[in-house]
Amino acid sequence: MSKFFADLVIRTDEARRAFETHPVVLDAVARGLPLQRYRTLLLELYHVVWHFNPVSAAAASRLSDRHKQVRYFLYEHMQEESGHEEWVRNDLEAVGVPASDTEGHKPSAFTQALVGYNYWAAERSHPCSVLGMLYTLEVIASVYGGPFASAIKESLLLEGERGVSFINSHATMDAEHMADLRRILATVEDRDAQDAIVDAALLNFHHFTHIIEQV
Amino acid sequence: MTTDAPVRNGVPALLARPYKYLRLEWTAELGMLRVRTCVKPIQCYSLAGLAEMQRVLDDIAANPGLVRHLVLSSDVTGVFNFGGDLALFVLLVRAQDIDSLKMYGRRCIDLVWWLEHAALRGVHTTVLVQGDTLGGGLESVLPFHKVIFERSAQAGFPEVLFNLFPGMGAWPLTIRKAGFAVAKDMILSGRLYTADQLLRRSLVDAVVDDGTGEEAILEVVRSVEPRLRGTLAALNAQRIAAPVSYESLLAVVESWAETALTLTTRDLKLMERLARAQVRKAGGAEEGAVEEIKRIELDTAWGELRSGNTGFGEERGTGLTAWGAL
Repeated sequence: MSKFFADLVIRTDEARRAFETHPVVLDAVARGLPLQRYRTLLLELYHVVWHFNPVSAAAASRLSDRHKQVRYFLYEHMQEESGHEEWVRNDLEAVGVPASDTEGHKPSAFTQALVGYNYWAAERSHPCSVLGMLYTLEVIASVYGGPFASAIKESLLLEGERGVSFINSHATMDAEHMADLRRILATVEDRDAQDAIVDAALLNFHHFTHIIEQV
Repeated sequence: MTTDAPVRNGVPALLARPYKYLRLEWTAELGMLRVRTCVKPIQCYSLAGLAEMQRVLDDIAANPGLVRHLVLSSDVTGVFNFGGDLALFVLLVRAQDIDSLKMYGRRCIDLVWWLEHAALRGVHTTVLVQGDTLGGGLESVLPFHKVIFERSAQAGFPEVLFNLFPGMGAWPLTIRKAGFAVAKDMILSGRLYTADQLLRRSLVDAVVDDGTGEEAILEVVRSVEPRLRGTLAALNAQRIAAPVSYESLLAVVESWAETALTLTTRDLKLMERLARAQVRKAGGAEEGAVEEIKRIELDTAWGELRSGNTGFGEERGTGLTAWGAL
């Protein structure tokens, strides 16, 4: 089994640190966000989550049989993630954003760039790049999601899971997903696929940092 | 090699590289290389920071005779070093990635190993701690020949609070400097110590008033310089007399990585609490990880009181910070 996961961690570590140490992210993790900015962040997240499965499906449809194991992994992952945009919609309703506003929201340029890049990378670059998207989103959720949800609950005086169910549940759920992702990444042994995954992770960290920055 | 070597950006050209997390300064007449760490905003041993530090040490080793004094300090006000990159640990533990945890540990002990052999390389090492230094941050100062703390600096090994232990040299280096009992107490208690308490435990060589650390460094370097060869020979003999083997450091790293994999969600949440406190301090808040550790200790102490576990010895929990001890 390859040690590609370790390689991915090292090659993307500065991008992860750049996300973690961005002043807006630092402030959000330390002190939470004002209500309006949290609403905007959830609206942006809604689009990221909504496009997650179609991006994964695009990648799965283009994977060669050599990466059959990745395709099966994506099938299972899509099954698990199916309907999670509803969780974001519920959180938005809990903080005062009706469903009609959520559907009518036009995502920011950075969200469109993130989603657009992930479609392009899956279809035109290398389908394994979808694993870079997964890595970034799961790192953000499992490492930073918990502290961020705590900060939001404290700053907005939210009770229980109300308003933070998506972020909080993914902080826990993606912890298990990280181990699954490491196992599947270890099966990717060709250099082109590995490089595509690293590139996608770097792009996703970069764009996600800007998504949070602009809210 | 002499100190007349060509200089670029104020540093001998042989050592001058474009560093992102380190700032180098050179004093030619003393052969003194100052390394100031600035892993901003969260001052910790990130992978990139470790790589840059290793590069500096490799350059020193590749140019014997050029650097006679290596001095480390922090460029971040109020923080020397928070130790390991907690977010990276959380990531690797959640991914159950023992290979990467071991890799991180090996990178740390490679620095320790270099510093352990600094005298053999003709280099006297001094470290100045001017703020909080926790876990790996404290571990990293122990291999230095001369350890100076400013009076308000606080340090400790809080890892036990989240069911881990410091695995990159804390045990052998603390035992060598302060004895087994002190090492055991510090590592198993998770307590924080003031600079004076660390001085009394022989982990620190000098405590100076706040704001006078820079003068203290020069005093040390100037006092060692005329008798450098003898001092280094003696320090090398000390290493021979009380050796620390790379194999033992590596074995502890392996044990540390295996233990890290067993951390529970509760342990990781405590780690996240500390990480969040570090973030608050980096954002300019008065309180940071040190205050959070005190809160966690208090929580634990209250838990012990409620459960009736107030005994002493190995079974006890972390208890209160030993502010009044010694």
